[in-house]
Amino acid sequence: MIIIKPKAEFVVTVEAELTPDLAEKDIEEVKKFKVYYGKDLVELGELFEVVREGDDKKLVLEGDFSKVKWIGCRMAEGEIVVKGSVGANCGAYMAGGRIVIEGDADDWLGAEMKDGEITVMGNAGNLVGCAYYGNATGMNGGKITIEGNAGNYIGEKMAGGEIEIKGNAGDFIGTEMKGGVIKIHGSCGFVGGDMKAGEIRIGGDFELMPTFVKGEDGWSGDMNVKGEGVVKKL
Amino acid sequence: MHHALHIKNGIVIDPKNGVKAEKMDIFVKNGKIVEESELKGEDVKVIDATNKLVVAGGVDMHAHIAGSKMNTGRTMRPEEMRVVRNIANKFRAAIGRVLLTSPAIGYEYTKMGYTSVFEAAQPPIGALHTHEELDAIPMLDKAALPVFGNWHFVLKYVAEKEMEKLKAFIAWAIERTKGFGVKVVNPGGVEAWMYGGNVSSLDDQVPGFNVTPREIILSLIQATEELKLNHSVHLHCNRLGVPGNYETTIESIRLASKFSNDARQVLHVTHVQFNSYAGDSWRTVASGAEEIAKTVNAMDNVTIDMGQPIFGHATAMTGDAPFQFTLHRLTGSRWSNKDSEVEGGAGIVPIAYLPKNPVHALQWAIGMELGLLTDSDKVVLTTDYPNGGPFTEYPYIMAMLMSRKMREGELEKVSPFVQKASNLPAIDVEKTLEEVIHMTRSLPARILGLPNKGHLGIGADADIAIYDLDPLNVDTSNDFEKIYKTFKTAVYTIKDGIIVAKDGNLVEEYWGKTYWVDATGRVDLEAIKADLEDYFRYYSVELQNYGVEESWLKKPERIVI
Ligand SMILES: [Zn+2]
Repeated sequence: MIIIKPKAEFVVTVEAELTPDLAEKDIEEVKKFKVYYGKDLVELGELFEVVREGDDKKLVLEGDFSKVKWIGCRMAEGEIVVKGSVGANCGAYMAGGRIVIEGDADDWLGAEMKDGEITVMGNAGNLVGCAYYGNATGMNGGKITIEGNAGNYIGEKMAGGEIEIKGNAGDFIGTEMKGGVIKIHGSCGFVGGDMKAGEIRIGGDFELMPTFVKGEDGWSGDMNVKGEGVVKKL
Repeated sequence: MHHALHIKNGIVIDPKNGVKAEKMDIFVKNGKIVEESELKGEDVKVIDATNKLVVAGGVDMHAHIAGSKMNTGRTMRPEEMRVVRNIANKFRAAIGRVLLTSPAIGYEYTKMGYTSVFEAAQPPIGALHTHEELDAIPMLDKAALPVFGNWHFVLKYVAEKEMEKLKAFIAWAIERTKGFGVKVVNPGGVEAWMYGGNVSSLDDQVPGFNVTPREIILSLIQATEELKLNHSVHLHCNRLGVPGNYETTIESIRLASKFSNDARQVLHVTHVQFNSYAGDSWRTVASGAEEIAKTVNAMDNVTIDMGQPIFGHATAMTGDAPFQFTLHRLTGSRWSNKDSEVEGGAGIVPIAYLPKNPVHALQWAIGMELGLLTDSDKVVLTTDYPNGGPFTEYPYIMAMLMSRKMREGELEKVSPFVQKASNLPAIDVEKTLEEVIHMTRSLPARILGLPNKGHLGIGADADIAIYDLDPLNVDTSNDFEKIYKTFKTAVYTIKDGIIVAKDGNLVEEYWGKTYWVDATGRVDLEAIKADLEDYFRYYSVELQNYGVEESWLKKPERIVI
């Protein structure tokens, strides 16, 4: 296990693809891991304190990581525990393993993730589990759980896996969704625009496009794109 | 920094000057190749090129590297912008997968040993923007070819058979756009597209004008030849991307037989792969490359370039707006359409060439067939970047042209459709290293009419590439992996006598020239004055404000003819 703590408050964002693979490296090598601080390429050790404890494939990030982007990007196994908040793109393209965020997550959480598990104890931003601009497919496996609220465009172009939001969410949930499940325990705005397949379940109030057709226990659509998605009450 | 250079012990291949893999020294002073005696008393930097290949810097005569369609493409394709190729340091940040940013274009060509690249389609009204973008491309010498084949002035003068006015207009327009020559894209067809159509043969009437594509091409060749422009008409044929189009292409090529020029071709037909399809639908499509190669080989005044597709990502962007709409309908991919006043149009569609897709595999095979079956003195290596794929894969094409064994390996990976729809599997031609050097250097320089480019003779521009390859000890048929790797990264790239890249690392940022051709002294501009004033009364730009002043260019190089 490697414990990483910011040495100071960051003025600009840090782009650091920190994955549990680091825990298998020599501590001096970990300190030399390259990250961007603004436009400058620097070593991890310049910005963070790095300590090893035990041998398991795990990263513990202690402190405020809300300006640190790309944590857990492309990770395939192991565990990351963040004792604070994280910046954007956390868990992007993730293929396995587990990320637990005790604070809040910023935008693009688990974007295009393929497998694994992300849990956010606080709130998440926009575009959870969605596709990056220009790509056709968002999250297609794994599970994202958000204990608090989330923003807009949750699960855009999502093709598989599950997103569960215990609180409320914003507008445009499951836009262009192609598969997978989104559960929102609270309320949200518009759902299912251009939805092709998959399922959205909502506990509270929500708004639906007029291009959805009411069935026995829910709605299907989006008719606009001959979609076979399902929207129902949780 | 300008140094005098002494490139020692290299093995030189210089097709223009008949140098076939000879051990010799090359001397450089003030950006030019000079005799050894010129270097007496100079502070000379010696480059040891022992057992290395020394050739002229690469010349790409047909690529799309600047202008509004490039920028629209970049905007349309954010996913292209995620690959980081070079981070600041003393150079500028360079990004992009296939659709590169301007600095990345300059840097990537340079690493590969290319030193001159021509933008092959400049919409005249976008000329200023095109030049601003060209000026943002470091290292390379550049130029742009404005598009003429659908411009209302051209259609009008051709219809009225006003040859002197047509010549005056071409000279005026090239001066105004700081252009280099006459590009023609789907003549008449883009104008027809303004009414939702296209042309289907060389003899279709262009809506609103009493002209046909045949008359447009013939008149533009005649005007270009009479003006004695450096470069000939540069034609993107009608019916691009349509099964059965190879007959139209052959008909277009034969139009050149009415003209002659001792110095160069009178017609260059570009990215011919896209215009070499037999059959009458995508189901019956087959290669028409052999017939086209035969036609070109039988003529002494036509050249072509390949437009070779590369498997993987590309972005189709051309002034052929109706074709782009067809491609969009065919692929379901994103589409952007551009219209530039009465001058022409353009379209953009992202595409990925997949080896298992029968049509893509056939396109790939046709490009190779054209490269192999056409005389090496008449076919230039291009991908029509970014239409057929990235220019960074030129070494792949070079290796494929030289190695049948490599082609056999590649053929196993592609759709078996190629086996019955093309002749590629049966072709045993293997181009020599010298032929491939010619196809990427001396030939494009000759086709463009640039006597100081593409060779290493005394007085030539000191644009030089040195590769880690001993041409006297390489088996190009079997060592195709080495050929590919070698031409990916030059050991040295020298531009105007300055070392700009070494072993794939950029050494110094340098700004190349922008060539433009001034033929206004050969025409009577007064003859078209009234017509121009009349037209511009209804234009979005006033006549006085139309065009690009030479002083706005970073490093203009005016060629007066
Ligand atoms: Zn082109």
